[in-house]
Amino acid sequence: MNVAIVDFGSQWTHRIHRTLSYLDAGSKILPVTTPASEIKKYGALILSGGAIRIGLGDGKQTGNAREYLETFEGPTMGICAGQQFIGMHFGGKAQPAAGPEYGKVELIIDDKDELFAGLPERFTVWASHNDEVVGTPGFRILAHSKDCSNHAFKSLSRQIYGCLFHPEVEHSEHGSEIYENFLKIAKK
Amino acid sequence: MPFDAEKFIAGAIEEIRASVGHEKAIIAVSGGVDSSVAAALCARALGKNIRCVFVETGLMRKDEAKKVKTSLLGAGVGLRIADAQEDFFRALKGLSDPEKKRKAIGGAFIRVFEREAKSFGAKFLVQGTIAPDWIESGSGLRATIKSHHNVGGLPEKMGMSLVEPLRELYKDEVRKVGAALGLPESLYKRQPFPGPGLAVRIMGEVTRGKAETVREACAITEEEIERAAAEGKMALPWQYFAVLLPIRTVGVLGDARAYGHTIAVRAVESQDGMTAKACPVPLEVLERISDRVTRELKEHVNRVVYDVTSKPPGTIEWE
Repeated sequence: MNVAIVDFGSQWTHRIHRTLSYLDAGSKILPVTTPASEIKKYGALILSGGAIRIGLGDGKQTGNAREYLETFEGPTMGICAGQQFIGMHFGGKAQPAAGPEYGKVELIIDDKDELFAGLPERFTVWASHNDEVVGTPGFRILAHSKDCSNHAFKSLSRQIYGCLFHPEVEHSEHGSEIYENFLKIAKK
Repeated sequence: MPFDAEKFIAGAIEEIRASVGHEKAIIAVSGGVDSSVAAALCARALGKNIRCVFVETGLMRKDEAKKVKTSLLGAGVGLRIADAQEDFFRALKGLSDPEKKRKAIGGAFIRVFEREAKSFGAKFLVQGTIAPDWIESGSGLRATIKSHHNVGGLPEKMGMSLVEPLRELYKDEVRKVGAALGLPESLYKRQPFPGPGLAVRIMGEVTRGKAETVREACAITEEEIERAAAEGKMALPWQYFAVLLPIRTVGVLGDARAYGHTIAVRAVESQDGMTAKACPVPLEVLERISDRVTRELKEHVNRVVYDVTSKPPGTIEWE
């Protein structure tokens, strides 16, 4: 399995690469200017987080990322800004979060789906977000927190996932298992 | 598969040899884990063609030059000490903006490296840059959180080529490499220390006097936390230190009014420095630090506070 990690500029983009390599999955960090035809050569796609404010119109800095979502058919996951970008692309509203979260957050799972398979109902994760995305048609919410209604979602029609929190950081519990689950989905 | 240190070492030695060839290289070591591990790798890869230089910036930990010399000699690496305190304090004069301070320090390092490279005839500069250094320094879409002195622009200005064998690693992985290289545990398990040294633990302008104060406060904090950990009162944190704040508050010392500065104590749990959590240091340990700091540094400090912020939203160091 070789995963394309498209870099929206997160402090933790390289942590995604590390987490995947510890799970024996190859991955490459690619800039948003990478042609969509190049992304198609990978088995799965991850859009990283970043300081860009999707909810404040910074979506234009995401280069070819819209095209990736149109043309890439394999399993896709967005993290933080990447999740907001996916939600907005498919018709949701990205906006400044009612309750921004930095650091420790208690994640409450609403629907385990395959992404959270084998994990507890509640666990601690770390987040770092000013914005959130709400009301994406055709997506189901998988998890929330006290202050944020959409911490993870999934497309009803395609293998597209998004997490607002950061499963790739050390302080997120079960983070590596979430990526392992994503790789299992990708290998099917 | 988790990180394989032996495999990494074999690859890194090959890469260093391929980059440097039969030329000479210098490496600046700070006494921290990263530069010590990079130096040990270079000693294996390049033999007598590497020169290790410890730059005495005046902003290092207490007794650092001595400690580094001993611990690196123990690891089979020779060391030259370059005293550049004047250069650093001059470069920092009048600066209080954290980014300007970091850039001034980067500039002062360049001048020392230039001198050292010339005297050794080196065409390559090896640095112990690790992943968080270039990540936090930013580029393109990635925001600059803080400019690490060892990232960006250095070699272009110096006409040297840069070699960064640890660039893809995080601190926990570097420690595994250190262990596999046979470095002393006291060296590879050592807590991180920032490249710009105590300058980023002094809020506002850096002076020799403030450097002396925060150096002592850091030494006291380290001693007390290490003692408490050895006595089983707490786990040894990932990083623990003191920060000198420019805020003055009123106190009373020996029935007389005091109006001194404030020391903030920070101790965090982390694995890779990319996320961190404040440690639950027992109150009695914090009290002991406060007692010692305010007594031993009574001319300068009359208040001690504890920082409970995670990363994010904070960073581990304050600047």
